[in-house]
Amino acid sequence: MNSPTSTAWSRIRRSPYQALAAISIMTMTLFLGSIFFLVAAGSQSVLKYFETRPQVNAFFKSDVVPTTQAVDLIKSKLETTGLVESVRYVSKEEALQIYKDLNKSDPLLLEAVTANMLPASIEVSAKNPSDLKTIAEALKTEPDVEDVRFAEDIVNQLAVWTNSVRLIGFSLVGAHIFITFIIILLIIGIKVSNRRDEIVLYQLLGATGGYISAPFVWEGILYGLTGAVIAWGVSYLILLYSTPFLIRFLTGIPILPVPVGFMLTVLGGELLLGAVIGGLGGLLAVRRFLKA
Amino acid sequence: MISAQNLTKKFGRIIALDSVSFDITPGEFVFLTGPSGSGKTTLLRLIMREIKPDAGKLTLQGPVKIHEYRRTVGTVFQDFKLLADRSVYENIALPLEIMGAVSADIDKAVKKAIDLVELSARTDLFPAQLSGGELQRVAIARAIVTRPKLILADEPTGNLDPKTAKTIVKLLSTIHEQLKTTVLMATHNANIVNHLGKRVIALDLGKVTNDNPKGKYE
Repeated sequence: MNSPTSTAWSRIRRSPYQALAAISIMTMTLFLGSIFFLVAAGSQSVLKYFETRPQVNAFFKSDVVPTTQAVDLIKSKLETTGLVESVRYVSKEEALQIYKDLNKSDPLLLEAVTANMLPASIEVSAKNPSDLKTIAEALKTEPDVEDVRFAEDIVNQLAVWTNSVRLIGFSLVGAHIFITFIIILLIIGIKVSNRRDEIVLYQLLGATGGYISAPFVWEGILYGLTGAVIAWGVSYLILLYSTPFLIRFLTGIPILPVPVGFMLTVLGGELLLGAVIGGLGGLLAVRRFLKA
Repeated sequence: MISAQNLTKKFGRIIALDSVSFDITPGEFVFLTGPSGSGKTTLLRLIMREIKPDAGKLTLQGPVKIHEYRRTVGTVFQDFKLLADRSVYENIALPLEIMGAVSADIDKAVKKAIDLVELSARTDLFPAQLSGGELQRVAIARAIVTRPKLILADEPTGNLDPKTAKTIVKLLSTIHEQLKTTVLMATHNANIVNHLGKRVIALDLGKVTNDNPKGKYE
């Protein structure tokens, strides 16, 4: 007895060029989808990383060594605003240590610098990046504070960039999904048309619409699943290949290497998307014929 | 089994059936005769519920849902309508597969049908490897494999030589007698109709011109 899946498989084998066309377009769309998804997820992680970093640095005058009371006073003033997530005091010694850690590969830079040359500072994280300016303005009013820097522009720019990636990705992938759907519809539509007599016979023998449709739907699903596995494999290989370069490029931002579990989730999503596009294409192609 | 009252079917301006009335009781063997274009196939298509009448009433015994009704009818076509990529066994098993029968039941029923049409030696062959007569035997086996109450045969001998045609009709007659199946066979083969001496409903230009319980081809 032939199951719908085995019937679908034998039909795919009997028309390899049509199958190749269907799988190719499916692979291309899902590959594009996975690349955009990975870029969007990556930029989202980078954005999150920057959002959780200390976003305002208030540097004391280099000749000032703030007392514990003075630091506590500034801390309590900031905390009463309700805008602050955390406040941390970085002493001159800690600043030197940070400097040493950053420049440990260059001994020449380390020799000339002492703790007295570096300013003490206060690192502040905001609850909401939009309050960074208010916090910075408040710190600027402190008499011992010489300079205030905050990462508002970086975070805002990253947010804009992430949104743009998402928008472009959704539009491009959406358009490709539509084109793929139409092509699958056409390919399976041709097959349905070629099997017109067979379908009519099935109907005369009492087959239900579901019985007739099932192999065509499975055919579409098989195209989708195959395309998804290939697209995922290629995008994962590209990601693995470019990981060393990206790690250097994103120094200090711990989003790489991408966990295998995450990639398996991406595979699951692609399989689902491929199956839905293919299955729906197949269903619509045969239903159109059955209704005619 | 089948009751037609003033059945009319038009295709555009062409009247395919014009106020056709008849009754067929269970277990009858009826020939539907008439020249090409007389309305034989239209009548069979109405009985298969492929098309609906424009006027009149057609009462059919069986389930209301079309696909369920068709499972109670065995159909034999002039052009056999066998699937080229399926073996004799698989072609005969098709109606049972469609009905969702289990493999053991399919096997039992298919073997019985194959024995009845005397094709045991051809079970694994494909349609392209069979003669015209053998193809029609496969089609008949497929029509009877579900033990239908009604067999509709649309010119089953139309593509066959006279000798093979006689064998096929004899086979249908045997099935009718052994299984008590109602048979409605459209044909314009006068020899066969006259030889069997069964009921004949004659059609011409969409009208019943004769309905004789022991009829002849006119």
